[in-house]
Amino acid sequence: MFRNYIKIAWRNLRKSKLLTGVNVLGLAIAFAACILLVLTAWRELSFDQFHTNKGRLQELYITVQRPEGEESRSNFPIPLTPALKQDFPEVKAASRFIAISGSIRYHDKTFQADVKSADADLLKMFSFPLIKGEMHQPLNSLSNVVITANMAKKIFGAEDAINKPVEIYLEGEWKSFIVSAVAKDIPDNSTISFDVVCRFENTPGYVSQKDDWGASSNEVFVQLADHATVAGFERRSGTFVNKYFTAILRDLKRDGVAPGKDGQLMSLHLMPITTIHFNSISSSGGAISKTYPYLLLLIGGFILFIACVNFMNLTIAAAFSRSREIGMRKILGAVKTQLVTQLWGEAVLICLLALVTGLVIAYLLLPGYNALFSNKLSLALLKSPGLLAGVLLGFVLVTLLSGGYPAWAIAKINTLKVLKGSLQAGKSNGLRNVLMVTQFVISSLLICCTLIAWQQLDYLRKMPLGYNRDQVISIPLPYEMDTEQALQRMRNSLSGQTGIAAISGAAINMGRGRDGASQSSIIAMDYKGHSVRSNWLRVDYDYVKALGLTLLAGRDFSQAYGTDSSGLVINEKMAAQLGGVQAALGVQLPVLDSAHPLTVIGVVKDFNFKPLKEDIAPLTMNLVKSWPVQYIFVKVAPGDLQGSMALVKKQWKQLYPGSDIDPSFLDENTDRQYRREQRYSGIFISAAILAIIISCMGLFAISVLVMTRRTREIGVRKVLGASVIGIVALVSKDFVKLVLLSVMIAAPIAWYVMDQWLQDYAYRIHINITVFVAAGGIALLVAVLTVSIQSVRAALMNPIKSIRTE
Amino acid sequence: MIQLKHISKHYPVGFGKNEVLKDVDLTIFPGEFVSIMGPSGSGKSTLLHILGLLEEPSTGEYLFEGEPVQRMSEKKRTQLHRGSIGFVFQAYHLIDELTVYENIETPLLYKNMPASERKSRVADVLDRFNMVAKKDLFPNQLSGGQQQLVGIARAIVAEPRVILADEPTGNLHSDQARVIMQMFKHLNETDKITIIQVTHSEQNAAFGHRVIEIRDGKIQ
Ligand SMILES: Nc1ncnc2c1ncn2[C@@H]1O[C@H](COP(=O)(O)OP(=O)(O)OP(=O)(O)O)[C@@H](O)[C@H]1O
Ligand SMILES: [Mg+2]
Repeated sequence: MFRNYIKIAWRNLRKSKLLTGVNVLGLAIAFAACILLVLTAWRELSFDQFHTNKGRLQELYITVQRPEGEESRSNFPIPLTPALKQDFPEVKAASRFIAISGSIRYHDKTFQADVKSADADLLKMFSFPLIKGEMHQPLNSLSNVVITANMAKKIFGAEDAINKPVEIYLEGEWKSFIVSAVAKDIPDNSTISFDVVCRFENTPGYVSQKDDWGASSNEVFVQLADHATVAGFERRSGTFVNKYFTAILRDLKRDGVAPGKDGQLMSLHLMPITTIHFNSISSSGGAISKTYPYLLLLIGGFILFIACVNFMNLTIAAAFSRSREIGMRKILGAVKTQLVTQLWGEAVLICLLALVTGLVIAYLLLPGYNALFSNKLSLALLKSPGLLAGVLLGFVLVTLLSGGYPAWAIAKINTLKVLKGSLQAGKSNGLRNVLMVTQFVISSLLICCTLIAWQQLDYLRKMPLGYNRDQVISIPLPYEMDTEQALQRMRNSLSGQTGIAAISGAAINMGRGRDGASQSSIIAMDYKGHSVRSNWLRVDYDYVKALGLTLLAGRDFSQAYGTDSSGLVINEKMAAQLGGVQAALGVQLPVLDSAHPLTVIGVVKDFNFKPLKEDIAPLTMNLVKSWPVQYIFVKVAPGDLQGSMALVKKQWKQLYPGSDIDPSFLDENTDRQYRREQRYSGIFISAAILAIIISCMGLFAISVLVMTRRTREIGVRKVLGASVIGIVALVSKDFVKLVLLSVMIAAPIAWYVMDQWLQDYAYRIHINITVFVAAGGIALLVAVLTVSIQSVRAALMNPIKSIRTE
Repeated sequence: MIQLKHISKHYPVGFGKNEVLKDVDLTIFPGEFVSIMGPSGSGKSTLLHILGLLEEPSTGEYLFEGEPVQRMSEKKRTQLHRGSIGFVFQAYHLIDELTVYENIETPLLYKNMPASERKSRVADVLDRFNMVAKKDLFPNQLSGGQQQLVGIARAIVAEPRVILADEPTGNLHSDQARVIMQMFKHLNETDKITIIQVTHSEQNAAFGHRVIEIRDGKIQ
């Protein structure tokens, strides 16, 4: 029996090659897209799920009410963690965690490495298993380091890493350490990562800040005791905050800040380790918003659904032409379940074919996909049981939806009607039309959203930021170098060269450099009895000139004045806090210590020193040496930009032959800030295109069927004198109406969804009605073209021929 | 074997109804070879469909081998289709995607017959119909007469007790028709299969034992 079914199925597939091809190809493409999207989403959702203790592990964060609003952050004073362990029995283990260096040295070879410092608890709390060396107390001594297997291989090659001496560049010098253990490589879906980890006490500034409750730097991870709850911890944290943050609380009260929803000015909270990847409060985590992976799954589902609908429509249509076979089988004694099994079995066969093809397509596309969207995916992920189960479930659902329903619909039709020939295929098109409208609603929705997202990104990219982007080269300086000296030497060798306009430096890059870094620090001080907060940016001489900022009052930092090391250049927002642009000039601020106040020497126009997601905040630029310069900025003359870049690289090579730098123009850096958005909008654009293509494949197939059915009518109309255009219009009309309806349904949904999305951005476009017109136009155009191929063919056919063939 | 009592059939047409069969009484005994004749539209096909359990009578009682059909479950009816009733159609209604062999085999598949027995049965029938050479051909590779032979072979392979044939030779030449009729006669005489056929031709009717004339839905 089964073989009989397979045989029939196979012969049927071969008989209608075009429709089968459309079916299988559409479904295969959908499967491939779906697999890629699911893999992407799965990877994001799998972040930090591998820790054995994941249910107990939390990251600490603090919420502070400020005059300008609530602020949450995950950076804490150094003494907080020991106090936490002492005061909370709920805390079974806790570890501070911070990046401290980028370079490690063995003998005379220097390696780039992600060096972190942490408390010994870290390796007990998290599942970073050790594979060699001291297994129990690898961070027992202050001079111990644990390195990953990969790093060990890079540094020591085949040699055994254990007990080898290494040096780490810390606070301007090389400090010696001993490798005590090698850890298994950290999975790339771990938010917490390191190549090298040493004891927290090695953190730069540790000694001076170990009792300082005013500064915030490291993150804190906590493992709760088995009986403890997050709610219990948070409830008891009020007392803790009051005990230790006395000075800050006093200032907040003095500034008249209103308590938050929980009645507190400051409160400690916990977030589960499995959520930090999606939580932007977490300094390490917050890579993406949790909606993105789910959005990907949704879009994958959409695409699959669209392909399923094609399948359904085609199977129903094709099966009606097979109704004679079905009727005959009933007369020969087949019961309904046997018929459903047979027809559904055929659908399963096609789906299987499509799935295999889809897997092959996915496999072929994966390298390109990874490169395009900077992912690290592999089909091997499919082996994980959860995902495998999901894919299988999805597959069964697809076959049920696409094959099961048509099978049931056909199996229940009246036998006699079939044999008498009074049954005509697809007389009632209600269901088919609903399905087609749904398809095109989804496609139009994706097109609209994509267009709006693209407009927004374009708007962000093109928006004037208040500084010069295309003529300024940013050079990230190697960690282990005397950066002040490097800046000085570059300044000396470059200044006066043709094509070089100005040279300066800063502790913080603009946008996101090739090193991927982007950070900021904030200072707070008292001014005339109220507290003033500002971003704090160490810059160097000629910064205003080098970045092309606009001076409103005063002057730039300049080497011509001997006193500038105690000067400050501020932006308008900061000036507003000090009484206005003119009033701010000459103001003395007790930033570091009140004995040596710093003086405002210049005010610049506001510029976007942070991503456009954020509004411009107060900014104070200074020359204070304790924040070393990390980047050199070189403004070059317009014209030969690449030539100037080459010159910069050449000069560097002459000064530091052994050291590599990776300079970039600032516009590359600002583009890089929107890389995540670009990555996702890339995925969305592809998905939207796919959706419309697959929808049109379905439309094409349906139009083939409709046209075959209407051949006679078209013939008669032609004999009666209808023109080709008239006939094309006649036949396309029904489809066009459906597509128009779809666009009308999709537009308001897209408007609502994208309006929500845009709320995330401080600078955003207004959604324009033309987007919907354009999206509708695209959908309509593609649909009409698809249908026209068929209707023109039908219209051009010799009418006698089409009337005779009955 | 078959007993119809006061059977009538009507279809709804517009607001009224179209009476196709009016108060039909009919008894057919086991082993009979009956021909139903009458003008076009008189209700022959409808009667045959009722006899074959493809259609329900509007009123009246139908006993198949003494059992009232109205009270049969869907399962029992399927059982009868699988084993007791064979159909032959004017338009053959072979399954185009299956070969001759597979077409004949299909009813046995639905009877869940073991493969070995199935094979020997199909081989037997093919042999009897002289179609062994054609067993791997598809229906569209056969002539009309050959297709109808396959149709009959398919109808008898499950060894039914009654064959219902609706104008089995309607699409055939008279030579081919004779072959089919001789086959029916043979099946009737040697295998004792009850045969009920609808026909327009006196010659074909002459192969049977009895002719039932039907006119305007009434048996004459
Ligand atoms: N589903 C139906 N609905 C309405 N009327 C029907 C239906 N099926 C058959 N009829 C009518 O019943 C009558 C008898 O039809 P039937 O097919 O039994 O005739 P027939 O004797 O087989 O004719 P022919 O010799 O042309 O095959 C016809 O008048 C036909 O119009
Ligand atoms: Mg008839």
